[in-house]
Amino acid sequence: MLIRVLIYLLPLALLFNTRPPVTFEEVPAATSKITWVHDNAHSPDRQLPETVGAGCAFLDYDNDGWMDIYLVNSGPSDFFTPPKPLKNALYHNNHDGTFTDVTDKAGVAGGKFGMGVSAADYDGDGNIDLYVTNYGSNILYRNNGDGTFTDVTDKAGVSAPGWSTCATWFDYDNDAKLDLFVSSFVFYDKSQNPLCTDPTLQRRYYCVPRLFKPQPSRLFHNNGDGTFQDVSRESGIAGSPGKSFGAVATDVNNDGLMDLFVANDTMPNFLFLNKGSGKFEEIGLSAGVAYGEAGRPRSGMGVDAADYDGDGWQDLFVANIDQEFFSLYHNEKELIFTDQPGEIAPSTQLLSGWGLKFFDYDNDGDPDLFLVNGHPDDMIESRVPRVRHKEPLLMFENTGRAFKDVSARSGAVFSKMFSGRGMALGDFDNDGDDDVLTSNNGEPPLLLRNQGGNRNNWIGLQLIATKSNPAAVGAVITWQAGTLKRTRLKTSGGSYLSSHDPREILGVGSATKIDSIEIRWPSGKVDKLTNPPLNKYVKVVEGSGIK
Amino acid sequence: MCFLCLLFLFVATAQGQKSNVVQIFEQVATLIRDNRLAEAEKELTAVLRVEPDLPVALNFLGTVRAKQNRLVEAESLFVRAARNDKSFTGPRMNLAYLYLLKRAPDKAITQLQEVLALEPENAEALVMLGDIYLEKNDLQKAEENYLPALGGRLDNAGALFGLAQISRMKGEMREAMIYLNRVATLSTDSKSPEFLYKFGLEAMRLNLFDEAKSALGRAVELKPKDPSYLLGLGIAVLRKGDLFEAEKLFRRLLAMQPNNPQAQLHLGYVLLNQKKYAEARLWLEKSARPGVAIPEVFYYLGLIAQEQNDDARAIVLFEKAVQKLPDYAHARIALGSSYMRLKNYPRARQELETAVKLDPEEPSAHYNLALLYARIKEPERAQQEMQIIEKLKAKGAGSGNGVVVLPPKPNP
Repeated sequence: MLIRVLIYLLPLALLFNTRPPVTFEEVPAATSKITWVHDNAHSPDRQLPETVGAGCAFLDYDNDGWMDIYLVNSGPSDFFTPPKPLKNALYHNNHDGTFTDVTDKAGVAGGKFGMGVSAADYDGDGNIDLYVTNYGSNILYRNNGDGTFTDVTDKAGVSAPGWSTCATWFDYDNDAKLDLFVSSFVFYDKSQNPLCTDPTLQRRYYCVPRLFKPQPSRLFHNNGDGTFQDVSRESGIAGSPGKSFGAVATDVNNDGLMDLFVANDTMPNFLFLNKGSGKFEEIGLSAGVAYGEAGRPRSGMGVDAADYDGDGWQDLFVANIDQEFFSLYHNEKELIFTDQPGEIAPSTQLLSGWGLKFFDYDNDGDPDLFLVNGHPDDMIESRVPRVRHKEPLLMFENTGRAFKDVSARSGAVFSKMFSGRGMALGDFDNDGDDDVLTSNNGEPPLLLRNQGGNRNNWIGLQLIATKSNPAAVGAVITWQAGTLKRTRLKTSGGSYLSSHDPREILGVGSATKIDSIEIRWPSGKVDKLTNPPLNKYVKVVEGSGIK
Repeated sequence: MCFLCLLFLFVATAQGQKSNVVQIFEQVATLIRDNRLAEAEKELTAVLRVEPDLPVALNFLGTVRAKQNRLVEAESLFVRAARNDKSFTGPRMNLAYLYLLKRAPDKAITQLQEVLALEPENAEALVMLGDIYLEKNDLQKAEENYLPALGGRLDNAGALFGLAQISRMKGEMREAMIYLNRVATLSTDSKSPEFLYKFGLEAMRLNLFDEAKSALGRAVELKPKDPSYLLGLGIAVLRKGDLFEAEKLFRRLLAMQPNNPQAQLHLGYVLLNQKKYAEARLWLEKSARPGVAIPEVFYYLGLIAQEQNDDARAIVLFEKAVQKLPDYAHARIALGSSYMRLKNYPRARQELETAVKLDPEEPSAHYNLALLYARIKEPERAQQEMQIIEKLKAKGAGSGNGVVVLPPKPNP
């Protein structure tokens, strides 16, 4: 009798133990009230800046504990006069799944041919500021703390004329102030647009960046008085002109100094190793992250860094253009990487990747990977078989030492096609799992709600530095819950033209108690948290613990 | 097939015969063309009963026998026909075809020379003779026959095709391409799968992959179940860099011939380039018959082991490839790369420097050497190697169009 009962119960038990997969649900504009649409300035002249923008950000500009949204748009330039005014958009999070456009009140409309955005509290006043990169010159908006911003670009000295793409705030010299790295793309102006045509189409298409001259990226040292010093030359950054897109600040050799990994388009990628004393050495070649097979540079666009296999060393990821395969560079220590994309390679062979981010989408403790794709050439389908202009999103789940493509089970949105570019990560509904915002070229943005990531337990940390840089970039967080022990470096940047929720969600799987959390701050201070609460956000103050 | 071509000749030659006989022979020719051999034989038997030595009838009956694969009888009938009418070239042409079928090219040459003694401008005989000499690698004699077959006009596809092959064998690639392009123009409507297949292979040898793909595609349309044609088309598509279409063709071929080692090898190769390593390894291992595995198989399997982070195994496989083919530069590059990953820098250097000597135009050899020099702190030498790559790129060297590993040799 008992056996019969067990036989009947067993399938039921299996049924109940099989959790539905984590999915991402599209939040339509009608629900979110985000009605802004990117205008890519698409023209018959196929000016290159038209096809590479733009970015997006999650940021809490009003310190209400809810992630607001910033979206970057095109605007006037030497080749484009908008037929109607275009502006960037700041959307305030109303805490109920809706957003309100507060751009004009905040004074952050941009008004230039926008590319990307990077949000951080550069002046340590407790308010998140905004740095907007443009084709033309950039804008630094200082947050006044009252819902408004002031353009302080000129005073700060960070306009960086030319064509800037990604920007990353990090503290390269560990002086507790956020410095600024700004990727430069090619030298370009209206007169620099060569005629790239296909005789069969008798129309222009977007020229490959190979035809343009590279430009050095910029590093600005934060003087701590609201001004910055351009240290590109003396730091060694300017010694490597590139065609740079994505950048991530990380520590590849665990020496406590933040390095920079920068993707270049049609040029070798850069790995700027922080040597201390304000100097960087570009070691991409010897590290094995600069080139593809046969020494062929690829078209690097989005990047990120994380220790995906839990060996204590930061691994790197670069998304390239179709046919080039994306790269997952495993850190072999001693500043050597090997490209081990595994299942990511066949899934991305025909795709071109931009926004991307490692994050723990299911709160099981390890970083998974989200990819945003889209081909830059709107006429690619008439020239290359099987390659599409609009491409799908991809979701990869971490299986320990590799990644598995779980896009097909991750929601209906993964069967749609987009001209994807930027991607920002943030928990906009504060439910304890990371949601996703993507910005699409010439299309509305896409807000994706993570459904089910919080079925596993978690704790969210908002790190408040007192001695370290305000964003706590470089902090190392170690947490343990039963047999699960994880470590995460707080990197900065990553993805493409975008900026992320600064809070850290630590997943603990099905554990019902977190045994310990240790935060090693960039200043060297260590905070150990005992009996931290589960499934809620806490503020952790450097030197004081949970507030 | 070729016998049928000659039937038209006979009709023309038979103009001097009685008109009712001509009508009979026209009907016989149609019957043979339609493969109604028993009816044709009945008609011919009736004629031969009246005129047992009539050359045209003997020649037709020989054709019937040849189509019935009764080659000894066919030969006897053609010989009788030729003997009975020394000016009748039809049976001699048929004998030439027959001898080629029987792999007796010298006997075929004799017959063709007799045809040409009678008809010096017989283009078909000239092309056949050219083909035989080409087969015998006698390029000069082959050319001596192809050129008069053209008769000053560039409209004989067979002669042009032969001349294209001669030019390619002489290393005159530009001329070869000109001839072959002309053949392509002339044969746009070709309905001969055999010719299209031959043309496709030759085009591939000249790196004219568009032309090869087109011709082989048409050959496959005409003869969809011929494994050689599918393999040829698959390789042409692969050479064009379309891994996905090539994969489909090789899978189609394997559905017909599951143990076809060439199809297994090429499918494995395609999957390797798509980085679908598990399945690639399966097919490559299947393709490696004991004792007959080609060096590429070990090389590809080594690459898979390398990609799966098993450099110790990769080295064993690369070593096997190099043992089989010591000049295999790509295998040495991969070997050097694996030694480098295992931090055995002296061995890596040895293999990579050898590879550069073997194939100085191969960018990946220089790249891996640059990587090695950078890692052993010889940055200037590393930069020198990278500069060589830049120069090679400017010259257009290295594999392209998405295919990152050198494909198996095109030898379907």
